[in-house]
Amino acid sequence: MASNEKKILGVKEDTFRMMMGKYGIGIILIGMVIVISIIKPRFIQPSNLLNILTQISINGLIAYGMCLAITTGGIDLTVGAQLALVSCILGQLVGEMGMNIGLACLIGLLATTAFGLLNGILIAKFNMFPFVVTLSTQLIVRGIAQVISDGQAVSLANANFKAIYSDRFAGIPLPIIYLAVVVIIMYILMHWTKFGRYVYAVGGNVNAAIASGVNVVKTKTLCYTIVGLLSGMAGIIFTSKTGAAQSNIGVGYETDAIAACVLGGTSFAGGISTASGVLLGSIIIGCIYNGMNFLGIDSYYQSMAKGIIIICAVLLDMVMNRKNR
Amino acid sequence: MKLKKVLGIALATTVLLGVTACSSSEPAKTGNSDAAGGDVNGDGEIIIGYIAKNTTDPQPSTINSSASEQLDKLKADGVIDDWTGIMDGLSDANKQVDLAQDCIAQGCDYVIITPAEAVASDPAITNLVDAGVKVVVVNAKTDSTDDVAMTFCGSDDVYAGELMAEYLNEKLPDGGKYLHCQGVIGNSAQIQRAEGITNKLNDNFECIAEVPCEWSGEKAVNATHDALAQYGKDLTAVICDNDDMSAAAQLTCNESGREDIICIGVDGNAGAMGMIQEGTLDATVLQDSIGQITAAIDAIVADINGETVEKEYLVPFVIVTAENVDEYATE
Repeated sequence: MASNEKKILGVKEDTFRMMMGKYGIGIILIGMVIVISIIKPRFIQPSNLLNILTQISINGLIAYGMCLAITTGGIDLTVGAQLALVSCILGQLVGEMGMNIGLACLIGLLATTAFGLLNGILIAKFNMFPFVVTLSTQLIVRGIAQVISDGQAVSLANANFKAIYSDRFAGIPLPIIYLAVVVIIMYILMHWTKFGRYVYAVGGNVNAAIASGVNVVKTKTLCYTIVGLLSGMAGIIFTSKTGAAQSNIGVGYETDAIAACVLGGTSFAGGISTASGVLLGSIIIGCIYNGMNFLGIDSYYQSMAKGIIIICAVLLDMVMNRKNR
Repeated sequence: MKLKKVLGIALATTVLLGVTACSSSEPAKTGNSDAAGGDVNGDGEIIIGYIAKNTTDPQPSTINSSASEQLDKLKADGVIDDWTGIMDGLSDANKQVDLAQDCIAQGCDYVIITPAEAVASDPAITNLVDAGVKVVVVNAKTDSTDDVAMTFCGSDDVYAGELMAEYLNEKLPDGGKYLHCQGVIGNSAQIQRAEGITNKLNDNFECIAEVPCEWSGEKAVNATHDALAQYGKDLTAVICDNDDMSAAAQLTCNESGREDIICIGVDGNAGAMGMIQEGTLDATVLQDSIGQITAAIDAIVADINGETVEKEYLVPFVIVTAENVDEYATE
């Protein structure tokens, strides 16, 4: 611990490292935005920024759930199938039976939350591997969605239902508001409550958590239940956005959610994540999709670039944080 | 090149000014105005957006690469100022709705879209039209294509089914038992091709099973194996909703020493065409993908030039056999 060591950009090395560890991902985001805006000035216009935020709402909601699961040292692969389940339930209740939209959404959310709870119980109570449990329940959930819908797409052209996605409040598209509310709640939940501290304790060192009297089963179960609830909400937005209920939606959606978490500094070892990081991660994913379209980059290179950016971000995170831990 | 671009912009601006001057009673509204010269949104540039169904399946890929070639040429010729590049819809309607918003944000005047879903991709098209963009739908219709799109360029899938049925009627006058390998259930191509088959197939044919194979050759192989095991020599034909499946089914039959079974599908992929050339597959119904996208781009050019554009351009299917395969096969 030399007292007057190297300086980077006029800041003490330790301080610099700490800042990069905390805000490095934000700097990457700002850098991306600046580069794309210089090449294509249209990118930075407010309507496009709102557009990006609207687009990330679905992935953002899923990512917050995923973040909880990963922080406890697990994962949830059912999220994509949960989208399909809630979509098909809405298709039958609203599209076919003409049920009240609020009530139908509530039933849909109850169903996905119940499957989240089931995941949680299997993982926490029976100590099964999260990967195996959710890989299997994912098949079950999608199967149920296919049974409910009979494999057919149901049109949900109902204007009130489509308003869930397309309406604006004070000029801001509703999906952004849903996301903002979830971000605030998740921030409080993860960083200000006892439950949040338990989540980090369980993920960081499960034995220490047990020794300190944390109820591991309850904490983990609640986490997966919240994943179910958030995926259900994402599913409602998705269904309202496309105006169609079908069982083949959401395939591969866990990938973008996991990517957003990882970009946001969530550690797969468990116990490390931040609510703000997940938001930044989701925005970066959104900017990658939107920005590369603006730059006219061929879609083959887009998925390559996405992979490279994620690896670089994680690498940067590891290099920066090695000394802090 | 640069000069052409400058000229193009200058021309577009002049046209824009002219139009604005003409319609002085109305303020220069973006969108909706049927401005001649193709600068639909009035920003001084003609930009075409291109939203693909996906970039991995054989048939969409054929459309994409042809579009890419033709749009690059239009740009080089100065007919348009720019195009967005192939935007990948990843076979996901949600993604396509997002891409539609990206096209609006990029100031596209025209957008070409090959829909991933008939119902769920529809908001992509209605959102674009609401924002004043002219939309050309290619290959498959969505629910409101007829009402809001500038034009539709595709093929009549019922006719494809009828062509398959007629070919079998001719080759197998005695009929027999056949297996039907279906595409993704609920997809418009799957529904309409099946309708065409029932329309024209002779009564002496009996369908032993309709198996949902999701356009996948691998699943068609399994279905064919099952049918061969169950019905043996009674099986005379395998009708498939696409070529990936018919080629795979034919290979399965040939391996089992049943070259006599006629497998037929739709698309005219390189794989199937190659098999026809070497004589291992009897026939396919060629979907003229390049014809569809060419019609779409021609329609846009016509609209830029202020010519009238039809609401629909149907590109015919063609039955391809050993006799005419060399005419249609591309390297």
